[in-house]
Amino acid sequence: MNQFTFTGRLKTSLIIMMVVGLVSMGLTWIWDDEIHTRFWSNYLHNASFFTGISLMAGFFIAVCITAWAGWYAVFKRVWESFSMFLIVGLVLMAIMGLGVYFGWHHIYHWADPVAAVEDKIISGKTGFLNKNWYLFGTIVIVGTWYFLSSRIRSLSIAEDNDDNDTDFAKHRRMRLYAAIFLPIAGFTSAAMVWQWIMSVDSHWYSTLFAWYCGASWFVSMICLTIMSLLYLRAKGYLQQVSVEHMHDLGKFLFAFSIFWTYLWFSQYMLIWYGNVGEETIYYRTRFDHFKPLFYANLVINFLFPFFVLMRNDTKRKFGSLGLVAGVVFIGHWLDYFLMIKPGVMHTAHEHLSHGHDAGGHHDMSFQLGVQMPGFLEIGTMIGFLGLFLFVFFSALSKASLVAKNDPYIHESLHHHV
Amino acid sequence: MSAVVSPIRDPLIYGHKSYHDITEDLVSPTERTPSAPWVIGFILSISLLGFGLFCIAWTIWHGIGTWNLNRTVGWGWDITNFVWWIGIGHAGTLISAILLLFRQKWRTGVNRAAEAMTIFAVICAALFPGIHVGRAWVVFYFFPYPNTRGPLWPNFNSPLLWDLFAISTYFTVSLLFWYTGLVPDFATVRDRAKGMRKKVYNFLSFGWVGSAKHWQRWEALSLVLAGIATPLVLSVHTIVSFDFATSVIPGWHTTIFPPYFVAGAIFSGFAMVLTLMLVVRKVLHLEEYITLNHVESMNKVILATGSIVGVAYLTELFVAWYSGYVYEQFAFFNRALGPYWWSYFGMMFCNVISPQFFWSRKIRRSVAWTFFLSIVINIGMWFERFVIIATTLARDYIPSSWSYYSPTWVEIGIFIGTIGLFFTLFLIFCRVAPVVAVAEVKSILKSSGDQYCGPDAIHHGHGHDDHGHDHSHEEHAVAESVKEEVAAVVEAVEDDLKKLEGIGPKVEAALKKAGVKTFAALAGSDTNDLQTILDEGDGNFMGNSPESWPHQARLAMEGKWDELEKLQDELQGGKY
Repeated sequence: MNQFTFTGRLKTSLIIMMVVGLVSMGLTWIWDDEIHTRFWSNYLHNASFFTGISLMAGFFIAVCITAWAGWYAVFKRVWESFSMFLIVGLVLMAIMGLGVYFGWHHIYHWADPVAAVEDKIISGKTGFLNKNWYLFGTIVIVGTWYFLSSRIRSLSIAEDNDDNDTDFAKHRRMRLYAAIFLPIAGFTSAAMVWQWIMSVDSHWYSTLFAWYCGASWFVSMICLTIMSLLYLRAKGYLQQVSVEHMHDLGKFLFAFSIFWTYLWFSQYMLIWYGNVGEETIYYRTRFDHFKPLFYANLVINFLFPFFVLMRNDTKRKFGSLGLVAGVVFIGHWLDYFLMIKPGVMHTAHEHLSHGHDAGGHHDMSFQLGVQMPGFLEIGTMIGFLGLFLFVFFSALSKASLVAKNDPYIHESLHHHV
Repeated sequence: MSAVVSPIRDPLIYGHKSYHDITEDLVSPTERTPSAPWVIGFILSISLLGFGLFCIAWTIWHGIGTWNLNRTVGWGWDITNFVWWIGIGHAGTLISAILLLFRQKWRTGVNRAAEAMTIFAVICAALFPGIHVGRAWVVFYFFPYPNTRGPLWPNFNSPLLWDLFAISTYFTVSLLFWYTGLVPDFATVRDRAKGMRKKVYNFLSFGWVGSAKHWQRWEALSLVLAGIATPLVLSVHTIVSFDFATSVIPGWHTTIFPPYFVAGAIFSGFAMVLTLMLVVRKVLHLEEYITLNHVESMNKVILATGSIVGVAYLTELFVAWYSGYVYEQFAFFNRALGPYWWSYFGMMFCNVISPQFFWSRKIRRSVAWTFFLSIVINIGMWFERFVIIATTLARDYIPSSWSYYSPTWVEIGIFIGTIGLFFTLFLIFCRVAPVVAVAEVKSILKSSGDQYCGPDAIHHGHGHDDHGHDHSHEEHAVAESVKEEVAAVVEAVEDDLKKLEGIGPKVEAALKKAGVKTFAALAGSDTNDLQTILDEGDGNFMGNSPESWPHQARLAMEGKWDELEKLQDELQGGKY
């Protein structure tokens, strides 16, 4: 069972998920306001979330290679396959960029040509917040991520088929690509987060924001890894992935949930303590109009994994580990919802009322899909998840599951926590 | 710890060391009379410390006016030095705690010294908040105390107070961690010592005897402390960053400060570890324990954290522009092109540009380059704090209050004094405790000694040339190499032969007397030879037959205890 077979049954299920997504997006489009705010914000939410997850998978392989880690070797194909979604992410985010370019949507306040001239703060940012940077920056940067990830993957597969590579020449070449990937990912992921996500609140800024988003992506990636491995194991694949590997993944989930919380707290604490109106407005909006999610974010993404995974045995039992992974995955999806929706809605309200003054009053009464994800948001998410898994499984089926010639494979097979 | 080591890994202990060699090499520096470089270093350090104490006394006697702080620049060299020293302290906990959790074997070569360095650096740092208040006799104002200031204890909402708690907690945990590691090593020193020295080390080692129970508790405690220390590493410098970032001073009030301070602290801490250890390994001849592989790993950490700091610098710079907030923009303009431009460029060059040299493997593995760059980085991280503190304060919101600050001899003297204090403590440490953790180095010998892995291995590593993914085949390969390894170290090891059916204490004694000490040796023996040993041995072994022993021994040697048990069920008194 060293070869994953992408069965017709699984394909059908994933296609059904994607159809659910398409129907949800279609309905969203129909029932939307005249500028399709809900549709586009859902699109951005999911596209950026899943693209980020695949970036983190590629990035983390690079980290592991550089750090000479051995334990992950047995299931590294899973991360490699996650990272192959980057090419799809490139298309998804390029569509968002084309939308900025041709004015298909009004997600970003700065993309409004009038605001770019009249709004004093936005006009100061047009050197970075502009359609060219968004579209071409996205294409070049995500393209680079994909290129480096796919180089690492193809070397890894080539290593598999070359039993005479006793000097590990291929692995040494992978080290080179991994080392190049690290600084590139470090710098460019921040630029992309600012473009894609932070700029929905066009006036607001926070230096920590990019790392906060990155941590959220990383935790989601670990959750998805745990769930995928549990699925594959249940289907009889990757039996070499033992409770020891799952324990380590559980430790990563635990540690990085705390790290995410640390970044959340650092950002919140400093803004709260500084009490500068331009900064506090970010939390004021979320606190006033998104209160359930504001708290749910911390409960689901911090308290829950913290208390459940604190014990040793919950990380070693597949049931509890899988449960936490599933819940926290949804938690971080909600976190992205909370990052994106308030700013987008603010921009949309201003646009629809044709007022460009920042202080303009607008209706923020409760609305499903704005303050809380509704069925259509869930459906859209199912669709994107289906797409992600489809790409993942088809990439997984193209190579053997265990990279038998990885220099660390024996360490990984005999891994003990 | 995984028993299987990848063939791509390099050894971490060179020179084909035995356990005894390790004890000898690492403990003997504490037993010899001090060498000339040590004495010279100690006299120099203690003189610097003396001068520092004089400057502190001068400050307290004459008042804080002997410093050049003014109404605009209220924090100068004092807080710069404070943050610098706290930052340096970080690598110790990172190496001991986080790298322990990540099972990084190379930590064993440097963790002891790094932890010691942490403690000494925190002591140096703690000096500054104490004296920069000027009236040192009312320094207890730091502590919240429920009397004259009413029921509110108002300073609870000050990050400066949080800092006090954070650092004292950090200091306590670091000390415990360091001492825990020292306990078995102090016992080793004790076991080799005589007279008064033996008594002292016996006291220090808490009567450690190295029983299984002791080790078990010791390992549990190490892990617990590592778990506690890991969030502490982050929290300490986070709270130091809060000292600045909670304010609304442009250039200070930025959300990236907490993680960026932590990364910078680890960066500078590793630089200081390298500065110290490169000297120590040379003077104490520890090149076989603190190898170029260790140096390279640390240089990689420096490159990574230096680049994280670089990302943070550029993020700050970019967001200052992006924010559209003119004061923030000015703060950065002033840093880069204002009167203190030299410190900003010093910082950028030393912290962001200089570590990039470590992209080259050659430089990463060059002792001279590493030593030079580690000092450059130490200087750069000092500049960073100076840029953040003095440069930012010197030009605030109101141009009429703009000022310039340069230190007096007293401030410089106190800084030099802390360097003296740091080295004095470190040199004493080198004399009284093994500077490399003896027990921990021993724990990695079998997996990372150069006789077990790497190009000079005598005993081939596990699964060396087998890459079959077939599990049973691969198990077999491992067993094969285990066999080789066991056979190779046959003189050094003794097995409990009584585990085999038909062998009692007396037979075992006879076998061992005849040189058959291990399962491996027994497995390779001929039954006729064994019979001869029995016949010639002291005692009556008429009832014993060695026919099944080699077979049983082979199973025991390969660790196939289940199979052995099955076989023993079938055997009758060790006979087929």
